[in-house]
Amino acid sequence: MNSDTNTDYGHDLLFGTFVTPTTHPVHQAVEQAVVADRAGLDLVTFQDHPYVSSFHDTSTLLAYAAARTERIHLAANVTNLPLRPPAVLARATATLDLLSGGRIELGIGAGAFWDGVAGMGGPRRSPGESIKALEEAIAIIRGIWDTTDRSVLSVRGKHYDVHGAKRGPAPAHPIGIWVGAYKPRILRLVGRAADGWLPSMQYLQNGLPELTEMNRHIDESALAAGREPSDVRRFLNIGGQFTSQRRGFLQGPPSQWAEELTEVALTYGTSGFILASDDTTVTQTFAAEVAPAVRKLVADARGTSRHE
Amino acid sequence: MTNYGHRIRFGVEVLGGSDAPGDAVALAVLAEELGYDLVVFPDQVGEGGADALSLAAWTAARTRTVQVAASRLDARARPASVVARGAGSLQLLSGGRGMLVLGSGSAGEDLGVVEEAVAVIRSLQDTSRSRVSSAGTYHRLADAEPGPALDREVPLWLYGADTALAALAGRVADGWVADLDEVGVEGLAGLNAVLDRAAIDAGRDVREVRRSVTLTSGDAADVSALVALVVDHGVSSVVLRVRTGDATQLRTFIDDVAPAVREGAERALPPGALSSRPVRRADVRARRRPGIAYDHVPDDLVATAVEPGDAAFGKVRSTYLRGGNPGLVLRQRNAAEVASAVGFAREHMHLPLGIRSGGHGISGRSTNDGGLVIDVGALNAITVLDEAARVVRIGAGARWRDVARVLQPHGWALSSGDYGGVGVGGLATAGGIGFLARKHGLTIDHLRAVEMVLADGTLVRASATENTELFWAARGAGANFGVAVAFEFVVDEIDQVGWAQLAFHAPDPAAYLEAFGRVAVTTPRETTPFLILGQGIAQLMAMVDSSDPDVIVSQLQPFAEIAPLMQQQVVIAPYAAVMNMFPETPHNGRGEPVSRSAFTREITPGFAAASADLIRSGASHWYQIRTVGGAVADVAPDATAYAHRDANFALAVMGANAQRLDRWFEPVRRQSHGLYLSFESDRNPDRIADAFPSATLDRLRRLKAQLDPDNLFQDNFNITPARDHTRNAS
Ligand SMILES: Cc1cc2nc3c(=O)[nH]c(=O)nc-3n(C[C@H](O)[C@H](O)[C@H](O)COP(=O)(O)OP(=O)(O)OC[C@H]3O[C@@H](n4cnc5c(N)ncnc54)[C@H](O)[C@@H]3O)c2cc1C
Repeated sequence: MNSDTNTDYGHDLLFGTFVTPTTHPVHQAVEQAVVADRAGLDLVTFQDHPYVSSFHDTSTLLAYAAARTERIHLAANVTNLPLRPPAVLARATATLDLLSGGRIELGIGAGAFWDGVAGMGGPRRSPGESIKALEEAIAIIRGIWDTTDRSVLSVRGKHYDVHGAKRGPAPAHPIGIWVGAYKPRILRLVGRAADGWLPSMQYLQNGLPELTEMNRHIDESALAAGREPSDVRRFLNIGGQFTSQRRGFLQGPPSQWAEELTEVALTYGTSGFILASDDTTVTQTFAAEVAPAVRKLVADARGTSRHE
Repeated sequence: MTNYGHRIRFGVEVLGGSDAPGDAVALAVLAEELGYDLVVFPDQVGEGGADALSLAAWTAARTRTVQVAASRLDARARPASVVARGAGSLQLLSGGRGMLVLGSGSAGEDLGVVEEAVAVIRSLQDTSRSRVSSAGTYHRLADAEPGPALDREVPLWLYGADTALAALAGRVADGWVADLDEVGVEGLAGLNAVLDRAAIDAGRDVREVRRSVTLTSGDAADVSALVALVVDHGVSSVVLRVRTGDATQLRTFIDDVAPAVREGAERALPPGALSSRPVRRADVRARRRPGIAYDHVPDDLVATAVEPGDAAFGKVRSTYLRGGNPGLVLRQRNAAEVASAVGFAREHMHLPLGIRSGGHGISGRSTNDGGLVIDVGALNAITVLDEAARVVRIGAGARWRDVARVLQPHGWALSSGDYGGVGVGGLATAGGIGFLARKHGLTIDHLRAVEMVLADGTLVRASATENTELFWAARGAGANFGVAVAFEFVVDEIDQVGWAQLAFHAPDPAAYLEAFGRVAVTTPRETTPFLILGQGIAQLMAMVDSSDPDVIVSQLQPFAEIAPLMQQQVVIAPYAAVMNMFPETPHNGRGEPVSRSAFTREITPGFAAASADLIRSGASHWYQIRTVGGAVADVAPDATAYAHRDANFALAVMGANAQRLDRWFEPVRRQSHGLYLSFESDRNPDRIADAFPSATLDRLRRLKAQLDPDNLFQDNFNITPARDHTRNAS
């Protein structure tokens, strides 16, 4: 393998699902979370679009689904920041993390669909403003969670002004802040401030190879901020179909998926694969036939490269 | 004395647990076990503590009956729009147990913000509109999508002890709560009066706003003081504030104090003064329709009844194919409730009455404009009564997809129709022309007994040995005689079946039809094909009751040779998989379906030619032929009210415009004989004679005169009572 084009941040692999938070049938999304939990996946995630009335409120759904599952971690994919004030978001996430025994993570984005946001009474932000707001929000969220810091929490930003707010509750485990991002400016924020990066395959206009350039923005920014590139876990939201014939990328039998995802993991350092699935059988197949196979192939490859 | 007539409820407000919210949940779960009606989580996000909305949602997932409230929500902490969505999800996920209490209780709170928040939350729950806006400086909506659609609005209460807040509660809220140690009994009386005045000024009924106090342990032991709160100050929710870990206090209050308070209040008040009947808001009552005794809906039905102003109305007003705007939908949970609903309907003979099970009626008007609907959709239990004899009891409200799913693990199936969303009640009272009909007969041919509520409100069972005439009539004309609540069927041993979907090039529809007709009548009974014929295309769906690939292929082969195949898919699958091909969708029918039906023994050249003209005319967008015959014809025509046993084909045609469709359909009708009532929406009285041969019709009319002489049940092929019946009998 050529180390110039191959990236590996050395994280163990995580596998999860991306479930539509539909309200029809009412409990479908919860049931899909339960399926993912029982199947042994690491993560179940829900998108957050409060302006879409046919979806559940993601924060309520996360709480309800967390209470009905046992081992799986849960996250929004990704939280719509402009409609979720950061201090309350931090406390709500920590509350759930405490209730669930440390199973909540925080997927977050700068916002999109601004007409929808504005229609719900939220702010309309330009791309630059939304990134600035996200950076302020991350500072507030981390400040709220950090109860070991005895100082007054003060983040006097342009979009959020928190001064003298009490800190707490402290979460049960170090909650990962995972940001959905694509453009250089926000990728640099990811490198500086986030614990994870959560792009979707379908939004990569030029396909997976784009990840290399995006990774570079994150890595450079992390290093410049005195962090390690490996401080930022790389996720990928994926979509596909299990078919008996090989038809294309993630369109084929589970063994083909395993090879393809292994390739992605070893080429782009992706260590979290989140599959869009509202289908019990697909989720179970992913958990039983793809996840372990990718883990094994990646371990083999890592083992091999160590000996080379 | 001030009392608003609400049943007394006891609740607990859980304090503490900000760093260990699990303790708060544990106390809430215990409260439910002990019999509390309500648990309240005060929000602590202002003080670095737990988020009440998360606690409420988590607790809802860990409890089953108790109402769960997120309380003392500072109206500035979150966008009210998002709070509304959260409350909506809480309400949906918990099965209607959610509740919101706004107001942090701090004096000098900006009530303008609270009022804006209430307006936003209410607007987003109004799903009768497609977009909502709400002006405001802090909380606003601009063309937002209301929703999610709820069964019951989330109760919205206000918390606080000052005059302005009480007045606001009187104007807009569903309830008001104050801390007793803060207001005191005197203060409570004063604020109640303020609230009442504000409510009246706003055109509301003072009973719309429930009154609640939160007690600290000091107040919680004085039974007579608590009775006085209920009797003299109209308090109907008594909420005890308890710290996490203080289980003893929780127990003492509910075991010793609560029953004494309840008893004392009941003794002091006139009998029957306290009730759990919901009091609807003035703006909800304003949408009521004339001629309905809304305030006299029987007690057992009030909790589930839906009026036009209710949140659930959008979900129940229309059916799968028909838009509707009924005045009242009664949703029963058991046979006794059905009897009370029928009694209520008898007092409303001047209004249309629809009977609804699965809401897929075409001939049956299971919704209407301004009338009543008796909806038995909740009676959907499916129980195996006798494993060896394969006897299964199925509630009228079950859907065929669920029936198939439940029977499948036993290796059983019951032929119903081609669509899993159809309800048992409508189909099993009319016929049931399904994918296994040629081998196993109609759905009604499997019926062993039916339980029905008759027009006089009695619940009867009809079978081969009891109420035999009704048993005969229920199989083909059931909707005229009562509301079926459950059916007992003997089901068939069927596991895997062959399932084919074939698409043909069919430029000449008449030729295709004739060929199809020839093949179909000679096909072995295992195969039941349904044909959809369009302009240039024929789609064939066929089930073969066999899991042997050779049998399946050999029986399908003659069909595959009718015309050039464009697409084909043949699989071996469980019957249940075919019934579950399409997921449940909300019922948002608009307008009226226009559907025509005819039976024919064979597809004659005349029938085929008239059909081809109809298809080419464009007057119909749906032309479907189901094959019958076989086992269906083994049953004698007079054995059931479904009499057209000799037909081999049942045609169903749908169009957009009745006049236009009829112009092209009449020639087809002339080439056929009789019709299947479930596919005929024409209300022309001639159609009754097409549905029932005269001997059958006479017999039905005589029974109708006995069982429903006032003709209460007439929404589906009304059989008018025989007028001369009493004279003949005497
Ligand atoms: C998409 C679709 C596919 C269909 N396919 C088939 C098919 O393949 N074969 C077939 O035979 N039929 C078929 N039908 C017709 C169907 O069987 C009838 O429309 C039937 O009435 C629907 O029953 P429901 O309970 O869903 O309807 P509802 O709308 O709830 O009721 C329709 C009428 O049935 C009567 N009724 C309902 N419940 C009761 C009750 N508990 N007691 C007494 N009367 C009651 C009432 O008159 C009522 O107005 C189909 C209909 C649709 C819409």
